[in-house]
Amino acid sequence: MKKKGLALVLMLFVLAALSLSGCGSKEKLKIYLPGEYMSDDLVPNFEKLYDVEVDVELFDSNEMMYTKIMAGDTYDVLIPSDYMIERLIKEDYLQKIDISKITNFSSITPALKEAPYNLFDPDNSYSVPYFWGTVGIIYNTKNVPFEKIQSEEFEIFRDTDFAGKIYFYDSERDAFMIPFKSLGYSMNTSNEDEIMDAYNWLVDVNTTMDPITVTDDVIDGMAQGRKDLAIVYSGDAAYVLSENEDMSYYTPSCGTNVWVDAMVIPKNASNPDLAHKFIDYVISYDVALDNTEAVGYASVNKDVLDTVTAPGGLYDGNEAYLPRTGYEKDEVFNDNEFLRKKLSELWIKAKAAR
Amino acid sequence: MKQFRKMVYPYLVWSTIMIAVPMLLILLYAFTTQGNTVTKFLFTFKNFKRFLTDTTFLNVLYTSLRIAVETTVICIILGYPTAYVIAKFSEKAKLRWVLVITLPTWINMLVRTYAWTGILQDDGVINSFLSIFKIGPIPLIYTDFAVILGMVYNFLPFMIIQIYTSLTKMDYSLKEAANDLGAGPAKTFLKITLPLSMPGVISGITLVFLPAVSSFCIPRMLGGGSYVMVGTIIESQFLTAGDWNFGSAISLIMAIIIMISMYITKKVDKGEKVEGASV
Repeated sequence: MKKKGLALVLMLFVLAALSLSGCGSKEKLKIYLPGEYMSDDLVPNFEKLYDVEVDVELFDSNEMMYTKIMAGDTYDVLIPSDYMIERLIKEDYLQKIDISKITNFSSITPALKEAPYNLFDPDNSYSVPYFWGTVGIIYNTKNVPFEKIQSEEFEIFRDTDFAGKIYFYDSERDAFMIPFKSLGYSMNTSNEDEIMDAYNWLVDVNTTMDPITVTDDVIDGMAQGRKDLAIVYSGDAAYVLSENEDMSYYTPSCGTNVWVDAMVIPKNASNPDLAHKFIDYVISYDVALDNTEAVGYASVNKDVLDTVTAPGGLYDGNEAYLPRTGYEKDEVFNDNEFLRKKLSELWIKAKAAR
Repeated sequence: MKQFRKMVYPYLVWSTIMIAVPMLLILLYAFTTQGNTVTKFLFTFKNFKRFLTDTTFLNVLYTSLRIAVETTVICIILGYPTAYVIAKFSEKAKLRWVLVITLPTWINMLVRTYAWTGILQDDGVINSFLSIFKIGPIPLIYTDFAVILGMVYNFLPFMIIQIYTSLTKMDYSLKEAANDLGAGPAKTFLKITLPLSMPGVISGITLVFLPAVSSFCIPRMLGGGSYVMVGTIIESQFLTAGDWNFGSAISLIMAIIIMISMYITKKVDKGEKVEGASV
């Protein structure tokens, strides 16, 4: 017992020492973003440039991030998705961005200042875009003819010719978006009949198609060519296409989910000044170029977009890289508590139905 | 020893904060629903009713229990002989073998499970090997087999060590006495060794069944996202649906099922002891 007590005292000392060491001379910045979503050089370079210390934490999903910040963890910069930012604005969790401090703001590509991409925060009062993209179908051109993709679009995931050859995306929002769009509904519908139609569509997929339902495993799986068809985010598709030349990407004409992930500063941030500097740094030309080349998602900087898609650029001819803009049937997610709970329960049930 | 008693207090405070309070919170959430503007909580049985009247949820519960029972049984079948053999080795060899058995647990469970996903893939080690003989690819990953394999692999050491400990603590003279009285090896094993090692088997069952029934990361990695277990539902209620009340109710139902099954195993154990003593 004595040893235990001693160990406890020692542990307390260590903890105290650790928390005290945080009060060093350097300024600190704490950022919280999705995993594998930033070039490895970005943070070290920023630290050197401003002589500061940056803590990076990673999350798996927007919902996980939300749970953590609501439990009281504080950060200076968060990078959530559109619908989550809409929710955080509604709940009065974010502080306004001082646009005069974001000197590179004029380089943001115009498409992001128009509907549907700007709907969650129409005049960028609270957020500065980070990456953006669409959700679409990635397919193996050797086994799936383009004509079939073009004529069936999302319905190809119910085409039993491809049973056992598909990946499905394991997130209720992305999963339900597919039948909503394919059936011609809005993906932000609150109509119970439409929701049940979509649910039955998904049960159909799960019972007849033997899909493998995964999240990030789809990237590796498609790069290795383990399956023929998958639902993916455009940025991940851009990476897969650069790894495996048999793969191609298709954005369905029935419309799809378009999205923006953006940088925001919480009200309780301890260093908002440095947070503004960081945001400005991230969207500057050189940094944004390196970042998009490392990660594969579409840059928000219009000059960077021009550079990488120009002949000879890294994403020249990569059909997944540049998101579709100005297409009426594309939508962004809205924050909707009723739909969130409903879809979460139905998705579990649809998966358990097999 | 009395002067050390005070040392216990930090631990008591710690366990109150870290164990008792969360349990009470789960209890509170499970029996309430998000209230209106007047009261924050409204008392209700709705959360339980919602789970227990839905056939999909009950099917998931059945799958979880089935997988956990199968895992536990396989762990006993594999673990008992292993522990038995190790217990017969010399002292030095015993230590070495216990080390070998526990060695994998030094590495993080997620990392080890992730390794299996590579091995079991359609283009993984096993199927690549089989393809030399023009067999396969056999679907291995994202099946019941893969999930149970992953669980047995992760939890087997707990079973072996428990049984091994109770076997080494056994009084060897009892076996000699049985032999002297004319019992053959089989009878000695059934009447002496097995009953005396039952406490080890029971605690082994506890240590394997509990994590197996509530696991959600092994099914997710080896069974795929569509492999739904009760742990998956609880996780989604807390993380994505944000319905903490329903999530807590399911957790409580699981806790009750586990407590009942522990009670039954203890009872069975006691029953066997009484029977053994009367012979």
